[in-house]
Amino acid sequence: MSAETKEGAVGHQIVGKGGQPEREQPWIFRTYAGHTSARASNDLYRANLEKGQTGLSIAFDLPTQCGYDSDHPIARPEAGKVGVPINSIEDFHILFEQIPLEKMNTSMTINATAMWLLALYVGVARERGVDQSLLIGTTQNDIIKEYLARGTYIFPPEASMRMIAQMYEYCLEKIPNWNPSNICSYHLQEAGATPAQELAFALATAIGILDLIKERGKFTEEQFERSVGRISFFVNAGIRFIEETCKMRAFTELWDEFTADRFGVKNEKYRRFRYGVQVNSLGLTENQPENNAWRILLETLGVTLSRNARCRALQLPCWNEAMSLPRPWDQQWSLRLQQILAYETDLLEYPDIFDGSPVIRSKVDDLKKEARLEIGKILDMGGVRPAIESGYMKSALVQSMAERVRKINTGEMTVVGVNRWTEGIPSPLLSGNDGGLFKIDDASVKETIDALDKVRKNRDEKRARKALDVLRKAAREGLDMMEPSIECALARVTTGEWAGALREVFGEYRPATGIEGQHLGLENERVAAIRARIDRLVGELGRRPRIIVGKPGLDGHSNGAEVIAVSARHVGFDVIYSGIRLSPEEIVQSAVEEGADLIGVSVLSGSHLELARQIMNELRKAGAEKRINVVLGGIVPSGDFEALEKIGIKRIFTPADFGLADIMDQLVGLLEESPE
Amino acid sequence: MKEQVEKALAHDRYAVSKLISIFEDSRPEALGQRAEALALLERHPGRRSGTILGVTGAPGCGKSTLIGALALRMAELDPDISVAVLAVDPSSPKSGGALLGDRTRVRFPPDTQRLFFRSQATATELGGLGPGSFHVCRLMHLLFGAVFIETVGIGQSELDVRYLADRLYLVLQPLGGDEIQFMKAGIMEVPDAIILNKCDQGEAAQRSYHALKSSLTLARPFEPEPIPVYQVSGKTGEGIEGLARDMLDAARKPGAAGMAAKEDYFFAKWVRDEWGRMGTEFLSDQVGGPRGFLDRAKSFDAAQADFSSGVRAWLAKPRKGE
Repeated sequence: MSAETKEGAVGHQIVGKGGQPEREQPWIFRTYAGHTSARASNDLYRANLEKGQTGLSIAFDLPTQCGYDSDHPIARPEAGKVGVPINSIEDFHILFEQIPLEKMNTSMTINATAMWLLALYVGVARERGVDQSLLIGTTQNDIIKEYLARGTYIFPPEASMRMIAQMYEYCLEKIPNWNPSNICSYHLQEAGATPAQELAFALATAIGILDLIKERGKFTEEQFERSVGRISFFVNAGIRFIEETCKMRAFTELWDEFTADRFGVKNEKYRRFRYGVQVNSLGLTENQPENNAWRILLETLGVTLSRNARCRALQLPCWNEAMSLPRPWDQQWSLRLQQILAYETDLLEYPDIFDGSPVIRSKVDDLKKEARLEIGKILDMGGVRPAIESGYMKSALVQSMAERVRKINTGEMTVVGVNRWTEGIPSPLLSGNDGGLFKIDDASVKETIDALDKVRKNRDEKRARKALDVLRKAAREGLDMMEPSIECALARVTTGEWAGALREVFGEYRPATGIEGQHLGLENERVAAIRARIDRLVGELGRRPRIIVGKPGLDGHSNGAEVIAVSARHVGFDVIYSGIRLSPEEIVQSAVEEGADLIGVSVLSGSHLELARQIMNELRKAGAEKRINVVLGGIVPSGDFEALEKIGIKRIFTPADFGLADIMDQLVGLLEESPE
Repeated sequence: MKEQVEKALAHDRYAVSKLISIFEDSRPEALGQRAEALALLERHPGRRSGTILGVTGAPGCGKSTLIGALALRMAELDPDISVAVLAVDPSSPKSGGALLGDRTRVRFPPDTQRLFFRSQATATELGGLGPGSFHVCRLMHLLFGAVFIETVGIGQSELDVRYLADRLYLVLQPLGGDEIQFMKAGIMEVPDAIILNKCDQGEAAQRSYHALKSSLTLARPFEPEPIPVYQVSGKTGEGIEGLARDMLDAARKPGAAGMAAKEDYFFAKWVRDEWGRMGTEFLSDQVGGPRGFLDRAKSFDAAQADFSSGVRAWLAKPRKGE
């Protein structure tokens, strides 16, 4: 073969089919989007596609992710907040109006209810007369990281894993271009995972799914090989972009090795590590938020520089993400970054630029070695399921997170604008009419709930009941649940009914919290001083002060609440940790029963105003609003502080208050002001 | 107080909670309030005389989940019964604080007034109960038809709950190896019944059951009848109904000896603790701490003699306000 006809990398050029130098095709440009209602989100999607976005990434609201209808008491404050609410196939028809399903590449961030949302998508295709085998896209469907970090799980591990396996079995022949699940290391990094933990936990999860598919024995060898090729990944890219570059190369090599050695996949194509990216949000700061634009750019480099380990799809967060959901302009700004990188720079003109670098090679090898060790540990425990059920993986993450917090607290890790160079000129980006933030129209929930009522009233009730019965039976007897779910979709069953039927069969799961055994790096003299103040309070009150820590609503990012609970005990509070997914009523009931002095709630979903209002109402109902103080932590824009204080919230802690000792100091101060 | 008591008897959560706080309060002024509340309650025709069900076992054996399931089932089976849970967890000896997480595993529907849950820390107390546990039970058994008290019991020194409970259940899990440790510590001799939890774990559970049965005969050789062993699963609900029914039966027979019989032990314990505290106070505030005192007395034995006479003289002196 002569040099002119050789394809691939030749010297510093990429040579195409005709022997001509070529540019690499760029990745798919996406923006994680969805809010308010199906109608509003459809408008947004069509606008984004017009701006040059090439795929859809759908954000669902928490009720949809946790399997509740928008009018359920625990769901209502969250409906339409962090994503689009989907109650039935009617909402899905609106969401995809004027968007050709057969041409779209649609990624859905959906997990516990992934089977349901895919069933709805297939249902829309069938009702539109689109051949379902043409559908292209991804359901995130990685339940392991939900238990570990993200929190929108519903069912226990065995049942959840079975549903995932069934989706692989269904999709392989019937929707061959669908990625039934997208193994996420993204949220593991957000929960504090080190690069090696990210590699290990994500790969162990993928291995767990393939082991299960193999064990179920529904596939021939040839089909199994193809199904290995359907596993895709969703990773995170942090600010240490050289290490991240190496991490991606390690991922690619490790997956190739595991699929070949453990699963005997012969076709190189099916061993390829296919992945999409959302770059890191954990490191984005509320202080001097404009700096986040640079962080996002640098994080993007880690997943785009290597041609051999380049992402297939990329979505970027927005500079103001630590404060609120992005506005359309913020999303446009992030999209433009991708377009400049792909089309203005020369990035896509070269073959892999790191091949042969001894530094990169050595770092990749180190990461691989460390990850293999950790994967071996998990496999020795019997795989990811036992490692989840025993709490092993969770406590490993909690420890890493505590280590990160400790490094920031002690200044060992520099975060510009947070623990160094904290003085700065106020950002003009925040001075517009909207304060640089996005506001959800609270009235829109009514529209969604009206549509839901209409669906319930107008449907063929007998068909809906029957579809649910068939689903329940399939769940109980271990039969395929995918076709029954599609029939539920067509019969206008609602999201809450679908999940409710399966809750009856499978039950609900509460995983290990991992709050024990944390090392927080709280300074000793300050802790000693706070303990002395608490001892004084013990004398005055005749008992130890008590604080309830919990998370109202459906958002399951529990790390913040857990760190607060452990810190509060460390300084001498009696802490009642009441867990996640509580209705305001349940939180207040706990506080009242426990005779608590303080309620500390953590809200990251943007529903803080509504939840605060409901908590105060419940306290008033119990007659305890004067006796029990409420403090709130989470992503709260400073513009909402006044409103929260008016509602009766006594202290507000945002990501800017990273000092745990400061937070504890404030809590004790609050009690000193008002004992009894 | 009268209104408070009325409301608490109707299971108004806040009223119950506030009363409990009085029974947990260590200040002297709480003594009078406690006596007042008890007097009102004991005269009240609506008062209950609940049975106290002690549940103990090693950490992680599933006590909380189990109690949650049992309480719910008892409430379903008997529309008149009211059930309270007092869950006691250890405090950190370093900070004095505690992390009380049992609530995450027990969820009662918010609209059911008949079920009540309260957490308590052991503080620095020995015995596995908190300083207020006995007092809170004195109150709770007058308000509820059944009172669960959950404690971590891993050694004889943590078994004060046996003096508090009318019926004591020891929870074990399959192949936990706990029964060997418990045999050594003499704990197997104490409970009135054993609950083998997590019986959903198939063969392992069966093997444990038989091992347990035989070790029980060894541990309690002089009993005419072996104590019951319940096989249940807090997770799948297996065996819960039967156990709940037996507990209801126990609850319907009011605690025969009543609270009065239990006072002996807890009063003696209080005296021990209170006088220990006083002695320690004398040692640190009056005679310069252990080192200073030992140095002056010249030997350990002389110090012991001096201390007793010293403390008596100190107590004989009139105090401020007396």
